[in-house]
Amino acid sequence: MDSTILRLRYARTRLCFALGIAFYLMLSRNIAAQDSQPIEYHAGYVPVISGGIGYVHNVDGGITTLEPQINPILLVPFGSHVLLESRTDFTGFFERKNLTNGPFTGKVFKTVEFAQVNWLVNTHVIATAGRYLLPFGLYGERLEPIWIRNLQDSPITATIGTRTSGSGDGFMFRGVATQKPPYSIQYTAYFSTRSNINQLQSARVAGGDVSLYLPHPHLEIGTSYQRFLQNHQINSVATYVSWQPPSSPLDIKAEADYSYNGRGYWLESAYLFQQLPIPSVFRRTQVVGRMQQFFPSHGGGNSLPRVDSQRFDVGLNYYVRDDLRFVSSYGRSFSSQRNANVWNVGFTYRFLFPLWPGRTK
Amino acid sequence: MRRSTLCIVILLLLSSLASAAVALKAEPYSSDHEQGKNSLSHHAQPTGEEVFKANCGRCHVPPMSISPRITGTVIMHMRTRARLSRRDEQLLLKYMAP
Repeated sequence: MDSTILRLRYARTRLCFALGIAFYLMLSRNIAAQDSQPIEYHAGYVPVISGGIGYVHNVDGGITTLEPQINPILLVPFGSHVLLESRTDFTGFFERKNLTNGPFTGKVFKTVEFAQVNWLVNTHVIATAGRYLLPFGLYGERLEPIWIRNLQDSPITATIGTRTSGSGDGFMFRGVATQKPPYSIQYTAYFSTRSNINQLQSARVAGGDVSLYLPHPHLEIGTSYQRFLQNHQINSVATYVSWQPPSSPLDIKAEADYSYNGRGYWLESAYLFQQLPIPSVFRRTQVVGRMQQFFPSHGGGNSLPRVDSQRFDVGLNYYVRDDLRFVSSYGRSFSSQRNANVWNVGFTYRFLFPLWPGRTK
Repeated sequence: MRRSTLCIVILLLLSSLASAAVALKAEPYSSDHEQGKNSLSHHAQPTGEEVFKANCGRCHVPPMSISPRITGTVIMHMRTRARLSRRDEQLLLKYMAP
C-alpha cells in the first residue's frame, strides 16, 4: 500500500517536473525575438537604500496606540540581471499602561519581510530564491508599504493567503507569459517551506497568481490561489481588480477572498484632486473611501474575525511632495462583538538614496 | 438598517466621485510625470512615458524624479515586483535616464 502511494507521488512529481520544463521551453521560444532590440540609455546600477518612514496616531474604540515605523529596503544589483533585495520592518506599538490612562509603554517589533535574490532571466522568467512576500491578492505584496497604502489599516481579509508570517522561504518564478499591444498576462508560481528560524518563520505553502493587464484602459484583473500544506491543509483563493482610468487621477481597487476560515471582500477608491479647478495648493489632496465585509466559516480564526464584520473608512491624504504626505482617516467597524470608531492621523515619507557614488552606464 | 443605509450612501458617494472624475476635463496642474493623463497609444510600440504612466500608477504615486545613477537598480526592483517585461524595462530606462 505504502509503495503504491510512493509510486504515485513519484509519478506526480515527475509529471510536474516535465510540465515545468515544457512550460519553460514554450515560454523561451520567443526570448531571442523579444530581447534582441537593445535601447540606448544611461542608467546606473548603484546599490540603493530605500523604503518608508512613518508615524500613525491610532485611536481604536477609545484606545490610543502610537505607531512609529521604518521599513528600509536594501537593493544590491550584480550587473543588470541579478538583484539582491531585502526589507526589514521596525514597527513600534505603544499604548497607555491601563489602555485608557497612564504612561505609554510598548515595544518595537522587528521583522525581516523579504531577503531574496532575483535572477531576471528574460521577459518570461524571473527566478527568485530566499525569503519573499507571499504574492496573494493585491494587498500584501503591492499595497502594504506604509508610503503606498491609501488607508493605514489593512483590510480584514489581508491575512488570507499570507499565513503564517506574510512571507515564504523558498523559491518563486514570475514574469510576463505573453505581451501584445492590447493586453499582457503575468504569472507567479511559488513554493515555500516550513521554517521556525527566528525572523525567518514561514509556512509550507504552494500557490500562484495570474493577472491580465489591459494597458489602454489601465485595467488589471487577476486571481491568486494558495494551498496551505501543513497541519490542516486548506485552499485560499482571491480575485482582484485594479483600475486607474487614463483620463483622471482615480484609483479603484477591489478584492474578494475566500478561505476555509471565511470569506470577504474590500472595495477601495481614491481620487487625487489634481484635475479639479481649485487653487493649486489643494490639488495635492487625495480623498479615499473603502468598505469591506467579512463572513467567518468554521468558526473563523487564524487572524480572522470569528463573527460577521463590516467596516467602512474614509480618508484624507495631503501630498506635500510625491514622497511626503500627511495621512488621516476615520473608520467605523460593526460586528456583534462591538461597534467602534477608528481614527488615524500621521505622516509617511519615502526615501531613496544611492549607497555610494557611481557612474551611469 | 442603519448599516445598510450607510453602505448605500458610501457607494453613492464613491460612484459620484468616479463619475465626476471621469467627466472633469480641467487642465492638469503638474508636469510630465502627472498621474494618468494619457492612455497608451494604440501603436505596437508604446513610448517610455506611456509605460511609466501605465505601470507606476498601478500601485503608487509615481516619483517626480530619480537620479540616473540608481535608475537601473530601481527599475530592476520594480520589474520584479510589478512583473514588467524586458521591453518595458528598457523603455522605462530610456525615458528615466536617456
